[in-house]
Amino acid sequence: MSSVITTKNLSRHFQDGENIIKAVDDVSLNIEAGEFTAIIGPSGSGKSTLLNLIGGLDNPTSGAVELSGTDIAKMSGSALSDFRRDHIGFIFQSYNLIPVLSAEENIEYIMLLQGVDTATRKKRVREMLHVVGLEGLGDRRPSHLSGGQQQRVAIARAMASHPDIILADEPTANLDSKTGIALLEVMKSLNEDRGMTFIFSTHDNKIMDRARRLVHVLDGKVDQEELK
Amino acid sequence: MMLTYKLALRNIFRNTRRTILTVMLIGFSLAALILTDAVTSGMIKVMVESVTKTISGEAQIHKKGFRENLDIDLYLENSSTIEGQLAADDRVKAYSPRVIAAGMISSSYNVSSGAVYGVDGEQEATVSKLKEAIVEGEYLSDSPTEILIGRPMAELLEIGLGDRIVITLAEADTGELSQALFRVSGVFFFGMREFDENFVFVNIDKAREVVNIGNASHEIALLFHDTDIAASDTQAVLSELNQGDIEALDWRSLFPEITSVLEMSGFSSVIIGSILFLLASLGVINSMFMSIYERIYEFGVAKAIGTKPRQLLQLILLEGFLIALISCAFGIAVGGSLGLYYEINGIPLGEFEFAGVALSNAIPTVLSINQFTHFPIYVILLTLTATLYPARFAAKIVPSEALQKSL
Repeated sequence: MSSVITTKNLSRHFQDGENIIKAVDDVSLNIEAGEFTAIIGPSGSGKSTLLNLIGGLDNPTSGAVELSGTDIAKMSGSALSDFRRDHIGFIFQSYNLIPVLSAEENIEYIMLLQGVDTATRKKRVREMLHVVGLEGLGDRRPSHLSGGQQQRVAIARAMASHPDIILADEPTANLDSKTGIALLEVMKSLNEDRGMTFIFSTHDNKIMDRARRLVHVLDGKVDQEELK
Repeated sequence: MMLTYKLALRNIFRNTRRTILTVMLIGFSLAALILTDAVTSGMIKVMVESVTKTISGEAQIHKKGFRENLDIDLYLENSSTIEGQLAADDRVKAYSPRVIAAGMISSSYNVSSGAVYGVDGEQEATVSKLKEAIVEGEYLSDSPTEILIGRPMAELLEIGLGDRIVITLAEADTGELSQALFRVSGVFFFGMREFDENFVFVNIDKAREVVNIGNASHEIALLFHDTDIAASDTQAVLSELNQGDIEALDWRSLFPEITSVLEMSGFSSVIIGSILFLLASLGVINSMFMSIYERIYEFGVAKAIGTKPRQLLQLILLEGFLIALISCAFGIAVGGSLGLYYEINGIPLGEFEFAGVALSNAIPTVLSINQFTHFPIYVILLTLTATLYPARFAAKIVPSEALQKSL
């Protein structure tokens, strides 16, 4: 399998008064296409910061993040926005939809940014709603959807742009157990059926159970890697 | 772009109460500006009309030096020629020759000094409000003994209609004293103390005879068809008349103190407008910042999924633009309605004299197209300028920090 993401000696340090907090410290990691990987560790271990660095949401103090061979750490703001838009899908812990847009419009939004034509957008929106099991609910605004349904819309949005990889930061944290499992099954099937690459930042056992690779992070360093 | 419009429109109604308050703040500022300008324009119009229509005319012709101390010897010998020239000029609406002399005005009971105006009753009525100011008796006919006096002077001299008045004047050129007997035919009241207490009006032929200047006059007051005194046609007339020792001046030059007051009024409107807009701008900045802080997580997400800083900037500016548009509609409706009401009914400021000019007891506002085009454009530009700061702030949000702040 080809490598999608490679981090080389990746570090992210924060200044807190006179102290330097090493949120991510010299992490070198290789993620292959089609992986279903979970970055795990206790709160404050640096897993979300690592995910942010991989997704280009934060700039590293040192080191490199190569996504499909491109070092995103060296990209400017606008180029990085384009790169995120075209190559990375995000799913966040909180319901991260734009509240004034309907489910359909939320999914369509990223494609509008990409300049996808109207017919293709509409077709893809319908397809994504079908994949996440939300047919008939596309015209509802987030406030009229349950937490699980909102997170399904977020998954649909993340997929709609046809990214190389989907980064999910604690995607089940705000969901009840049953809804969380249902949602994971959707993501798992997307991974298995479509070969979509997923990286999770989590301490949820449900995700850990389903992940094929676990990356243990402790004090900003990769402590242990586990293949299942 | 449609989605951006949709987003902006929906965003501004997410917090309806805040949007309404912001719209009211901007809208009322615009309405206040429209009204301030309408009131100022109304006062200027009333002041200018008081100056030009009461007695002075829009311009006057004199011999150079006459205005400084009303020297009776500085009369227009060729008054008839100038009058003929004015009569033939279709840019001139009306004119009235006047003989002006300082003299002593005596009744059987009292004596007063004053200015004696010799006027042609018919022509004077086309230039000044003398005829309309008559409150007792009759206006001038051709009788050589009739005289019009102000009500305060009548009280001072303790006389009424039909009573005798003796006027003593110095003849022109010789300085010899000359007296003439008149009977009060009318009493006038302009509401301007200077005129009502000091002026008397007699027929011009009699005045010419008393001061012994033949067919000459000391002053010719003019009105133009184009009331804009700055108009090129009007200024051309004055320029043609300004020859040799004759000076023709518009009211702005005749009454520089009033011109200064008008300029100050314009300046004060700019200051009031600036203060109103400064306050409104701070309100807009505050409101937009509150709106941005509430949505900081959303902006973080939007940027994370690929929205460019420029696109966020456009979105916030569009929200500001839409708020400005709604505010303008509101401000125009409020300012226009009030302005229209006071244009018809006038603003009751009471009767007062300002800069020597009597203002009527209700000043009608003057609405103009500029108030409804230029001012809203200023409001939109200003709102956009005020929005730029919070918009730039939103555009610079770092996604990872924005996402952390809200979690």
